[in-house]
Amino acid sequence: MNTNKVYVLGGAQTDFERNWSKEGKNVIALLREVISDGCYDASLTYAQIEQLNKENRIGFFVGNFIAELYANQGHLGALLTEVHPAFYGVPSARYEAACASGSVALDAAITKIRSGDYDVAIVVGWEMMKTVSSKVGGDYLGRAAYYDKEGKGIDFPFPKLFGRLADAYIDRYGEEDRYMSALASIAEINYENAKRNPNAQTRKWFMSREQANMRDTETNMLVGGKLAVSDCSQVTDGAAMVVLCSEKYKEESGLKGPTPVVKGFGHRVAPMQFSKKLEESRDMDYILPWTRQTVVDAYCRAGVTVNDIDFFETHDCFTSSEYAAISAFGITEPGKEYEAVEDGVIAFDGTKPINPSGGLIGCGHPVGASGVRMFLDLYKQIAHKAGDYQLIKADTGCMLNIGGSATTNYVFVMGRE
Amino acid sequence: MNINTVTVLGANGTMGCNISGIFASFGNAKVYMVSRSMEKAEAAVAKAAQSVKAEAVESNLIPCDYSMLEKCVGESDLIFESVAETFDAKESIIAKIAPFIKKKTLIATGTSGLSITRLAEMLPEELRPYFFGMHFFNPPYSLTLCEIIPSLYTEHKVIEYIKCYAAQTLVRTVVEIRDDAAFLGNRIGFQFINEALQYAERYKDSGGIDYIDAILGQFTGRNMAPINTADFVGLDVSKAVVDNIYQNTDDYAHETFIFPEYCCRLVREGKLGRKTGQGLYKSIKREDGRRITYVYDIESGEYRDKMTYSFPFSIKMIEHLKNGEYKRAMDVLTSNHSTEAQICLSFLIKYVLYSITAAKLVSDSAHAADHVMAAGFGWAPPLSIIDALGGKYVFMKLAKERLDPALIAKINVEETMAGIPAASTYDFRRYFKGKK
Repeated sequence: MNTNKVYVLGGAQTDFERNWSKEGKNVIALLREVISDGCYDASLTYAQIEQLNKENRIGFFVGNFIAELYANQGHLGALLTEVHPAFYGVPSARYEAACASGSVALDAAITKIRSGDYDVAIVVGWEMMKTVSSKVGGDYLGRAAYYDKEGKGIDFPFPKLFGRLADAYIDRYGEEDRYMSALASIAEINYENAKRNPNAQTRKWFMSREQANMRDTETNMLVGGKLAVSDCSQVTDGAAMVVLCSEKYKEESGLKGPTPVVKGFGHRVAPMQFSKKLEESRDMDYILPWTRQTVVDAYCRAGVTVNDIDFFETHDCFTSSEYAAISAFGITEPGKEYEAVEDGVIAFDGTKPINPSGGLIGCGHPVGASGVRMFLDLYKQIAHKAGDYQLIKADTGCMLNIGGSATTNYVFVMGRE
Repeated sequence: MNINTVTVLGANGTMGCNISGIFASFGNAKVYMVSRSMEKAEAAVAKAAQSVKAEAVESNLIPCDYSMLEKCVGESDLIFESVAETFDAKESIIAKIAPFIKKKTLIATGTSGLSITRLAEMLPEELRPYFFGMHFFNPPYSLTLCEIIPSLYTEHKVIEYIKCYAAQTLVRTVVEIRDDAAFLGNRIGFQFINEALQYAERYKDSGGIDYIDAILGQFTGRNMAPINTADFVGLDVSKAVVDNIYQNTDDYAHETFIFPEYCCRLVREGKLGRKTGQGLYKSIKREDGRRITYVYDIESGEYRDKMTYSFPFSIKMIEHLKNGEYKRAMDVLTSNHSTEAQICLSFLIKYVLYSITAAKLVSDSAHAADHVMAAGFGWAPPLSIIDALGGKYVFMKLAKERLDPALIAKINVEETMAGIPAASTYDFRRYFKGKK
């Protein structure tokens, strides 16, 4: 396998608090904004893009789940030509794996640079979700599960699927109160972290552990089994973008100093249906064994262990998914995740902080953008560009992005050279 | 200093109730919600918790009536006064609580424009150093602005502490403002709104109210057109704000604070706006459930159908804004010389210049104008409009070319723009909507 290094030059995200439909703006406005901000951050001009394209050294990779339904738009790679004429002729395509769409686009981009085909890759993940009511949107999202059996005719199918993950934990390990209380703390930590993030959807919202623990009330309704609104990330509009490059480009452009580099990836797909996941893992150590395996693969490719990871960005679409990620990352053994929550290990100032950005619960979850947003947040931390949410020690970071009910699993490890 | 217990006086009013919610949630303080009756206080507790979307804070909210003042006030680290907006009402409540206030208890007034120094003088001398203005906007859960106003007597470290507390603990956008009529946000916002009301009268033959609102719609950097905003806020409140500014300030925009006669007429007739069912606009639900909006015709004094205006400049601007092409949208605005485009551009330029002028008068930084307009009104921050129009140089040139020479002579653009920051800390893009 070709092992060219893959560097991260920079990027940008939109403010996930914004509702682009309310602003009266379309997909092109969203893309135009994130691409121009991201190129600016990465010091890449449209003139340079044109030159790189003449030499066939640049590609564009788009992550999006389901714009056909939310925005009546397909052919999303080609759509970039509407953003700027510099993209005429640039090879570009859309990549899809439900909520892990951003990661599959990143994977394709990384692969093209590692193989030496291109020297620069632009990756954009985006979703515009406020175009429809939450009920209609919930039904659209049901397509990330096996729609016919797990989505069709069910109101808000995903909270119910991740509610079943909570049930599976409680069935296997008991200690329901301790488990549910840990979930409330996870919500609180993500909201708290989001307060420092100027692009987070919930940065002005109120949440406390008490409120998160008061489930089944008017302001915290149950939405799926034991999970309540406070256990959910919320959909929003948003886009995130990063620019990757090869060692050759890095040298050509005279970049000095350490540049964050992609160290490893993992990509595994579990059975589509949630009941089949549980059936498969009944006698295994992990309830989500393929999620764990994806982490192991990425650590192995990066030549690291959990001890080498300074911080994590994980896919807390629900508190129960972040809870499962704690053991998948190897921070605790499975069944003991609550210890890392109770002892403050995963807190912002803990030894293994998870989601210093606020995660999906704090930042909001524009599904096709989330994978790229996490990757961008790894970059910001490692490059010391995270502003108010900068961690003190952030040399190596790891992200987990999942699609469906932990069906598609993607992990990236990023660090310094 | 630590704020663990707060007493809110007038807690059954809209502001008192919502602010109780802010102290109880973000502040995690025990809040005594003092209301006219226990029944009203209990209803306010539930409403306060709903206003921050968290029933968990109900345990922090304690319903009280005025018979319990001694206990509440005596126990509190901060007392927040939110009673009716008259010196008489404030004086009467201050007299009631003064005997129970421990020394060093912080005392805040939520007034939206009365003189803080005059209110301070209603307190015994030893309590005055701890008294200040703390002006929230409604609804505070979504509008995060908090103007902090010292009186002549307020101790510096009290102001430093409360600013820090409001910003860090209460998650507010905090600006310190000098004690001048209506402080900063309302002074800038109502200058714009009232001048729009005046223009409606001047252009009554072109349509008046809905005509001006169509020229200054969401595409000009706001969530709601200005005259519609006055209707939403209430004409009685709008009148009180502009009258206060007119009587107590004197700057180049003084005449723009004269509340128009047709608006006074509406106030006299009790047509105060949305809250009374009619005002500048009137909305009626038809039998089939559809709402139709009528507008007050200034000439005839009758309500008529709202018109759909179609200006070439706004159609083009909105089209560009929809696609995220902000520069092209601004180019349309600056290159179109129709009456409507001229009015629109001149309002934006005047808004910027007046914001800077007012910020210089009552705060220490032009950035304060950005904070108050973004966090208190949701309008495009004035400095960000300079950015949108192409920067300081282009803006100054536009101002000199496009404003009435008589006005330019009064403003002195060079002097106004001197020392203005190179750029806003806000991004203008989200404020200019792709909508009418």
